[in-house]
Amino acid sequence: MPRTTTLECPGCPSLRALTFDALGLIKVIEAKVSQGGAPRVVERWGELDSSKCVLAASINDRKDDPLLAVARKTGMIEVLSAINGDIRFTVSNANEDGPRPEDDAVVGLHLFAGQKLELTSRSCTLLTCTTKGNTSMRSIEVTDSPAGSASIGSSNTWSVCSSGNILCSKVDGSEKYAIFGGKGVEMNMWDLDNCTKIWAAKSPPKNSLDIFTPTWFTSSTFLSKDDHRKIVAGTNSHQVRLYDISAQRRPVISFDFRETPIKSVTEDLDGYTVYVGNGSGDLASFDMRTGKLLGCFLGKCSGSIRSIARHPELPVIASCGLDSYLRLWDIKTRQLLSAVFLKQHLTNVVFDSNFADEEVKPSVTADLPLNAEKIANETEIREEEETLPVKRKKASKGDERRKKKKATKENEGNKVKEASKENEGSKKLKSKKSERSKCEIHDES
Amino acid sequence: MMQKEEKEILPSTIKNKEKRSEVHAKLKHQKKLEKRKKAKARDAAEKRALELGEEPPPKMVPRTIENTREFDETVCKPDDEELFAGNDADEFGAILKRERTPKVLITTCRFNSSRGPAFISELLSVIPNAHYYKRGTYDLKKIVEYANNKDFTSLIVVHTNRREPDALLIIGLPEGPTAHFKLSKLVLRKDIKNHGNPTNHKPELVLNNFTTRLGHRIGRLIQSLFPQDPNFRGRRVVTFHNQRDFIFFRHHRYIFDRKESKQTDSKGKEAEDAKGEKASQERVIARLQECGPRFTLKLTSLQHGTFDSKGGEFEWVHKPEMDTSRRRFFL
Repeated sequence: MPRTTTLECPGCPSLRALTFDALGLIKVIEAKVSQGGAPRVVERWGELDSSKCVLAASINDRKDDPLLAVARKTGMIEVLSAINGDIRFTVSNANEDGPRPEDDAVVGLHLFAGQKLELTSRSCTLLTCTTKGNTSMRSIEVTDSPAGSASIGSSNTWSVCSSGNILCSKVDGSEKYAIFGGKGVEMNMWDLDNCTKIWAAKSPPKNSLDIFTPTWFTSSTFLSKDDHRKIVAGTNSHQVRLYDISAQRRPVISFDFRETPIKSVTEDLDGYTVYVGNGSGDLASFDMRTGKLLGCFLGKCSGSIRSIARHPELPVIASCGLDSYLRLWDIKTRQLLSAVFLKQHLTNVVFDSNFADEEVKPSVTADLPLNAEKIANETEIREEEETLPVKRKKASKGDERRKKKKATKENEGNKVKEASKENEGSKKLKSKKSERSKCEIHDES
Repeated sequence: MMQKEEKEILPSTIKNKEKRSEVHAKLKHQKKLEKRKKAKARDAAEKRALELGEEPPPKMVPRTIENTREFDETVCKPDDEELFAGNDADEFGAILKRERTPKVLITTCRFNSSRGPAFISELLSVIPNAHYYKRGTYDLKKIVEYANNKDFTSLIVVHTNRREPDALLIIGLPEGPTAHFKLSKLVLRKDIKNHGNPTNHKPELVLNNFTTRLGHRIGRLIQSLFPQDPNFRGRRVVTFHNQRDFIFFRHHRYIFDRKESKQTDSKGKEAEDAKGEKASQERVIARLQECGPRFTLKLTSLQHGTFDSKGGEFEWVHKPEMDTSRRRFFL
């Protein structure tokens, strides 16, 4: 009989994810337990236009009227409804006297969730950051007219770095602090309320051979939602570093991972696990308290991982990258749940957490809770670089919509457990082999 | 009478070597006789059917690895608009739409010996508008910059190992993808019997069997090395045939011949008289004369962006964990 080893992919729990690609398309992928857990592309938004390549995306995942912000290569930032893709409004990121958007691409984008309920106005705040360091925070009011026009409220712009390129940025869970880093730019943290830099990293000293590696951060994230003081950053020289701003400016823990730049780092909900994806498609999870590798996710991923998203409730992560596949993994067993082929180079993925298994909730026209004043003051735009070769940490606010009932959750857990046990053994062997051959490949080239 | 049951005794269970080899030889002989009988029966049935004027029994198709290839969802479908949009937008779009003419820079690794230079001179004759520059001690990144300044559209680096060319790096410019191929089974022109000499006409290009998205992208990369307006009068064709992830390169000159199909003599004579029948008995075939080198390539990795060993990110890299099935191919 043919010599094949096929790994049966168990289906995934009910979830909904949105992916963004290099042609400017936004694809909505849904998986339903009732249909066997195989994810399918249900919708596709956007036109096929590579000049509108998506560079950064951010989702404000909430029950009423979730919004999705998308930054494109043309410098336009669109805010859409995450349910049906209607464009609410479009804002241009370019300033009149600033550089053109093609030269100064958007790197990071963040759509603030906001806490205060505003009954009268509907507005949302965007933080965008470009490669040259121009960050701005804008609060935009949405009028109720069908054309979706928006008037820009207050906006604040400042420069984060004087030289070098920003490649990664992130806003923390409490939305008060933001970190930026890049090529030639050390990691620095800014306070969004006051727009001041509160901390900057210092590079580690020269190593034993007196070689000094230039600073080049390609991805970063906050380690935990509640604590803004710990940051994990990945570099172009395949190093992952943990910084603690309350302790010291040099990295607290630093370790190497394989041989290609770390393109994406995402934190887990427990506050000490991170998922790291690099330029040759290796995805692994680390425990940041010790710096130990917990395990690699083996699943034939052959392209650079641009973005990892962690589902806010289910133990599932999604990774997407240049090999045009969206892969969903189970966190505990590190097994591939399913892979969806999406035909283009993917740049970002976000989860939509309010997904009902029976039907999709229609968008409710409740007032959007926004803190207009707060947003108005802070205008940092964190644009996540999506297309630029930056490690994408999990797209911020990836939320999956899912209203999973508890019963289905348990079933999923059982299914996954059984399948995982057989795979553990074979996976370990595979990871050893792949590491050895990895070294060989690089020797050849 | 005891009924002797036909029990299949595996020769491998017999411990005695003499006896075992006897049983094995007998089994093989039996199998050979059965196979011959079957083949004879098949031929007889076909002949009978032809004589009677009926259709012969259907020819059996052998099962091959290509026939039983694992289903691959990344195979390009003919009506995929995203594919066309992606093609328009990708790095080769400009060259393939004839906005730029291909200009290729060929160079080598730092140590070059024996068959390397011979291979390069043959490559220069195959690819029109190709230029060779000695490597010196330049960094590959500097070479990429230099090529960009001089308006080249691709860069080929021939890597030699143990006095034999063994890897080919094709870099699209200005910021195109980098494909790294393993080169093997190189046969130079002088080693081919009855070889022909290629002319300077622009060749026609034949790309076979690049079905998946990755294969399609590599196909376009190869297509961007050659000019897009072949000169059919030159009757020169370059073929890249993909089979089982190996890309076979061949270079031929062809000529069309009118050949009379085999008929009995009497019919042939009649055919000369009656013009109407002549057309039905003639066939047009193409005769090939091989010229130029012959080699096979295998893709090891495709990098997004120009060559960057440290900071590069890969679109596709071969990992041994991907070889789980003998019927799974990527190109």
